[in-house]
Amino acid sequence: MVIGAWISVFLTLAILSYLYKDNPFYKVAEHVFVGISTGYWTSMFFWTQIQPNLFGRLWPATEYDASSLWYKFYNVFGVFSSVFPEGGIAKGHDMHLIYLVPFALGIMMLLSVSSKLSWMARWGIAYTVGMAAGLRAYGFLNSNVIGQIKGSAFQLVNSNLPYFALVGESIFNNFVILIGTITGLMYFYFSREHTGNFGRLTKVGIYFLMISFGASFGFAVMGRISLLIGRFVDLIHYSSSTYNHATLWILLIMVVLLGYSAFMDKSAPIEPPAK
Amino acid sequence: MMKYIIELILSIGKVDRRWIFLVIGLAVLLPLFFPLGLPIRATNATQRVYDAVEELEPNSKVLVSFEYGPSTKPEIHPMAIAILRHLFTNGQKVYVTCLWPDGQFMAEDALTEIAEEEYGLTYGEDYVLLGFRPGNEAVVKGLVSNIRKLYTTDARGTLVDQIPMMANVNKVKDFDFIFSASAGYPGTIEWVQYAADPTGVPMSTGTTSIQVNDVMPYVQSGQVKGILAGMPGAAEYEALIGSPGIGTSGMDAQSIAHLVIVLFIVFGNITYFIETRRAKKY
Amino acid sequence: MLWKRQIPILIATVVGLLTLFGWFTNNPGIESFVNDDATQWFDILASFAIFLGALNLMKLQGRKVLKQHSGWQYSLFTIGGFIFAIVAGFIYKGNDAVAWGFHVTSKGTLFKWMFDFIFTPLSATMFALLAFFVASASYRAFRVRNLEATLLLVSGIIIMVGRVPLGSSISSWFIMYLLVLVGSIAANIKLQDKIITFGVLLGGVVIVTIWGSLAGWPVDQPSIFYLPMLQDWIYNNPNVAGARAIMIGIGLGIFATSIRYILGVEKSYIGE
Repeated sequence: MVIGAWISVFLTLAILSYLYKDNPFYKVAEHVFVGISTGYWTSMFFWTQIQPNLFGRLWPATEYDASSLWYKFYNVFGVFSSVFPEGGIAKGHDMHLIYLVPFALGIMMLLSVSSKLSWMARWGIAYTVGMAAGLRAYGFLNSNVIGQIKGSAFQLVNSNLPYFALVGESIFNNFVILIGTITGLMYFYFSREHTGNFGRLTKVGIYFLMISFGASFGFAVMGRISLLIGRFVDLIHYSSSTYNHATLWILLIMVVLLGYSAFMDKSAPIEPPAK
Repeated sequence: MMKYIIELILSIGKVDRRWIFLVIGLAVLLPLFFPLGLPIRATNATQRVYDAVEELEPNSKVLVSFEYGPSTKPEIHPMAIAILRHLFTNGQKVYVTCLWPDGQFMAEDALTEIAEEEYGLTYGEDYVLLGFRPGNEAVVKGLVSNIRKLYTTDARGTLVDQIPMMANVNKVKDFDFIFSASAGYPGTIEWVQYAADPTGVPMSTGTTSIQVNDVMPYVQSGQVKGILAGMPGAAEYEALIGSPGIGTSGMDAQSIAHLVIVLFIVFGNITYFIETRRAKKY
Repeated sequence: MLWKRQIPILIATVVGLLTLFGWFTNNPGIESFVNDDATQWFDILASFAIFLGALNLMKLQGRKVLKQHSGWQYSLFTIGGFIFAIVAGFIYKGNDAVAWGFHVTSKGTLFKWMFDFIFTPLSATMFALLAFFVASASYRAFRVRNLEATLLLVSGIIIMVGRVPLGSSISSWFIMYLLVLVGSIAANIKLQDKIITFGVLLGGVVIVTIWGSLAGWPVDQPSIFYLPMLQDWIYNNPNVAGARAIMIGIGLGIFATSIRYILGVEKSYIGE
């Protein structure tokens, strides 16, 4: 726990040291991050996807038969008992040998690491692209286009709503949203030049888009500052005596080392360019 | 005198960006040590979430979904904890799922802290952690059609059929409310598109500040009942339920940091105007 | 050439048409494939893509170390980090009470320790670093050059200040005085007449002061100048309009691009 705290503080401060300048502490932390996150996601996807959903459907425990050729093949891999436990993989699936197709496509993807066989990844990528295209085409058209147009439609004459209200629904507010949506969409129509009356409408559209971008900027700032607060709260927590004042010690060491290196850089003579 | 002030402003305008980093760092750090205790006022969007949860009858079945990880924990964890507190105080039954693998770690931490230690509730009768299942929106679609096909066991390995509170709960329509604590994909949008809209189960959400604008059109059209936007949203919800937590303690730092950035923008523009007028003169 | 070009395009077309029409078909076989299996295959292939990425990373970093290219010492940290994560994921559990497979989502394991003390601080801090760069960009780059930039900045500032507790503490009368100041500066720039500028400033201050005294200086009235209310209105109305326009545009764009991929018109995924 305490060792973990010291490592956590070191890595946090190493990344933050980039604000001073690019330095070895930051480079070490950055490279560790790349290695650890690659290994983390590899393990996570293997144990949550490949082992239960792929292997679990090719060799399910529900249809285990030690005498069949298919399961004899499985038992050969049983040497890796963590991945291929005895008696088949019990994840509640039935056998679906059709899953050999994604297995084959996956192996082809892995083989593409060799430059001669790099074309093999295209089959897997083509499947992914085709599937995503089919799913998203409908999904986005339905919820993002039709759903949003439905949401923009409102009753022009509605006695239940006030004409204007700062908070909550009102006829004025509904008009603002309608006009803003239509003029904003007009701005994205580039098949016609934005001149004359059309140009005036697209200008209104861009004003609404700018207000939206400004709001997004405000939220982005809010989000980033919140994350920074979270990091500082952790650093303050790890500066307590329970963790042997990890934050203070590591901060001191880093400041001294970076300060020393900055001092040495300043006082080193400027070398003439090589001839 | 005026000339001196203008020269000073221009020289500050060209300052090394590391001084700006230092000022922001201090603006965030100092309020954490010296809280100002600024009063927190709930916005309309947060109030709508509170009202939606408050309207539920006691013993309602609520599905809470955790889809965030450590990088967005400071924003979403406080709101997840506040929602759990509100639900448990009102005597609701909470069913927890996770669309992100990291979400399960977050859910376990939250449930241990609130359900186990604070409220002393019984696992399996008052709350259950169904856990993470891979598949993104396929999981949401699976929950809508048949929960037991997707979840044969819960996160602790217990068979779902043996969990008392899972009796008569077979699909999303059996729930009374959905809450999604979401940091991206899959998250709120998938719950709206595949669960709340088709089944008509009311839902609310809490998201990171960056994601808010993507979800706002759904909130405005009523498909989602209110939204908790980032850490400020979490702090507002904590104020509404009367339990200040991590969200509230970060608000002073958030306020000061925002003010500092606004002042930077204003100052930067003053410098820009002075430089432009000078350039026009010459 | 057949294997490298025609077959991938055929796969994308067939699978794309199947999943697209799967939304409109009543055939149970196709429906079950599209709803259950197709997405599972997608996730399985995504996992293999991650494994491919890992293999490529190790290949590149390994080559850098073996050939001792510049900065090769840092590559040792990448390889070391990766090996540590693989050991925690596949070799050493650290908690015998937990079964293999559950150890990636259970407490008390080496994997969870790595997640809490290495992965979490690194990923969270990388994101948090952006806070500093946002502040620096705000100072150095955001300039009011035209009306569009002004709208962007003003709406951003109102959201930033109005959303936090500080915003609710700022009285609407302060905002009104600020607007009077901005109005007089604008009058000065436009009309270049000192008398008019002074008149606008003085008149504005007098009107606001009399109005405020009569109203008793309530913090949140008139509500149109109260930052949290103004922020709420901007957030719920013009902001939603812009966001909705973008959402509809993206939806149409994605639909068009998906059809292009399915019909084989777009071939960028095979590098053409």
